[in-house]
Amino acid sequence: MDIVLEAEKVSKRFRIATNRPATFKELFIQRMKGRSSRSADELWALREISFTLKKGRSVGIIGHNGAGKSTLLRLICGLGRPTTGKIQYWGKIGSLLELGGGFNSEMTGRENLIMGGILGGLSKRQVESLQNEIIAFAELEKSIDQPVRTYSSGMYLRLAFATAIHFDPDFLIIDELLAVGDSRFQQKCLDRLKSFRMAGKSLLIVSHNLDQIRAYCDEVLVMEEGRILMQGDPESALRFYYDIMKKRTESRQAKMEFVQPSLPIQQGNRYGTQEVSITAVRFIDGDDRINDHIFSGSPLTVELEYVRTNTVSDMACTLGVFNENNMKCFEAYVSSILEAFGQLPEKASIRCRLPELPLLPGRYYINMGLFPTDWSFVYDHHNGMHFLHIMNESEMPVNVSGVVMVRPHWTVRPQDPS
Amino acid sequence: MGRNKEGIATSSKRRHLTESTMTIRSHRFDLILGLVRRNFILQYKGSLLGILWAVLLPLSQLMIFVFLFKRVVPLKIENYPAFVFTGLLPWNWFSMSIISANSLFISNRDLVRRPNFEPSILALVNALSNLLTYLISLPIIFILLATAGKRLTWTVLLLPLILLIQGTLIVGLSLFLATWNVFYRDLQHITGVAVMLMFYLTPVFYSLENVGREYGRLFTLNPMAVLIQSYRAILYEGTVPDGSTLLVAATVSVTICGLGYLAYRRDIQNVYDFL
Repeated sequence: MDIVLEAEKVSKRFRIATNRPATFKELFIQRMKGRSSRSADELWALREISFTLKKGRSVGIIGHNGAGKSTLLRLICGLGRPTTGKIQYWGKIGSLLELGGGFNSEMTGRENLIMGGILGGLSKRQVESLQNEIIAFAELEKSIDQPVRTYSSGMYLRLAFATAIHFDPDFLIIDELLAVGDSRFQQKCLDRLKSFRMAGKSLLIVSHNLDQIRAYCDEVLVMEEGRILMQGDPESALRFYYDIMKKRTESRQAKMEFVQPSLPIQQGNRYGTQEVSITAVRFIDGDDRINDHIFSGSPLTVELEYVRTNTVSDMACTLGVFNENNMKCFEAYVSSILEAFGQLPEKASIRCRLPELPLLPGRYYINMGLFPTDWSFVYDHHNGMHFLHIMNESEMPVNVSGVVMVRPHWTVRPQDPS
Repeated sequence: MGRNKEGIATSSKRRHLTESTMTIRSHRFDLILGLVRRNFILQYKGSLLGILWAVLLPLSQLMIFVFLFKRVVPLKIENYPAFVFTGLLPWNWFSMSIISANSLFISNRDLVRRPNFEPSILALVNALSNLLTYLISLPIIFILLATAGKRLTWTVLLLPLILLIQGTLIVGLSLFLATWNVFYRDLQHITGVAVMLMFYLTPVFYSLENVGREYGRLFTLNPMAVLIQSYRAILYEGTVPDGSTLLVAATVSVTICGLGYLAYRRDIQNVYDFL
């Protein structure tokens, strides 16, 4: 198989210039004092990274913030050179880094589109022949001749994405992009990426969205502190990644005074540093009563109470419904409580209302977790601890399986003999 | 092998190997043209008078100079408006390009950080868009010469050559300034002062004859002085410019351009880390 990208023992050192002279005056003073201007702290952002990207393959990179993912992508794009080692590629790189970078808000969408295309490596004539396709993809037919500053952020990103993805590169580098526009447009982008892969091209994806990594990658690299810790198929890489998360949580927990989890565990398991601790979980049915038995299709409100220590100022929260085989039926998350609801009270309850829960009757778990906003470890995670019973309101449909409650109507209609 | 294009990024260099140079060249051309066009449009977008500003600035300078050096301190130069204008336009090209060169990489961070983008192109784009301002006002020189009863001679054909030498000088200096100003922001203040002082040491509003022989030779060390003398020769006097001094200026310009490119090459990787 053809290799399109190869990194060989790539390391990158940054000097964190604490006393780097910012002006000639300071440079002069430092020289006069006989101090070297290069006495800076060093930070190895990448250490001996080696991997290859083969034609038609798609590789995902996961790791916590500061693991070196973005530095690696930037080096691959030729921005900055490795301190040691080398990166080689064959073909045209397309990147969705710095999406819309180089757009000018005073120019019209069309002018930016053409400029963006030229910047992406096409000739003016090629971009012009592609422009209608790009405009149609971005769904901006009406406003393409307006200045970009009048665009909503969604329109801006749609134009940037559509422009970036129509260049026909041999491999595409994606950094945390798949959050453009509404869900319909997102689906369109994902479809586009799929057909891109079908055409035998390669993808390199950095994402925090592990479901997308699982769905789009053949292979996953797990990075931590500038190193590749593990390289393998998505399932085992993600398991490995969760293990790191668990280990981090445990080592962090070990450093702290022990906080007694104030919620007794009857079943399932719970782990986390307990810097934020879930102290109570309640299910509330449509009639505002605490009730863990609800009818299929009726509303459910999950309420969790927490207490935080004063080291925590923001957190992310997840809430998921899983069936007894631990299959995810539904999961929702808030990536920053601070951003969404303002300052985090020391003690509060978070409510999540699900207007209807159309699940087949049975026993389900409600799993929930509180995380730091970079998702690097766990404050408190309840797994399999809280049961919810879904009951049947009317008659149970016969011969149905799965998770979603659907009431099928079968009929047979004879066809005309002609 | 299905590898029609190759790129290699090692710790020392990055090059495209087998991609046909023709397509790269025509692409570069489109890119430069597009950026120049955008720069130029942006400069005048949203202003009522639009492109007229490109002409109004040198015209207002012209009026001040004519008032100062025909009334206040008479310099006794014939056809003074045409004389000043032939020096003023190239000087403005130089000073505007040099001053804006400082912020080229800083203010175009988005572009510089784009993969496959060659930041040195910005120096060229900057020089070219300011050249456009020059060329727009150029017909005014012809009008001023015509009203003074002077005729253009064939020497006008030498204009592209002199423009090329000045362009090389500007691009070279811009590469130095754009690169180093990323690390040392003092540079923009220094260039501001230097350009202002240099204006007085360049025969823009006076003639080298006003300077006298003993200092006149020193001026040949200043490539801008030589270039302005040459513009005057071909446009205002209708003579062939002095070949030897022009050769010196050309050599200086090419050297500066080469050194500027080397400095840029040496430090551009640090620019990426720093931006």
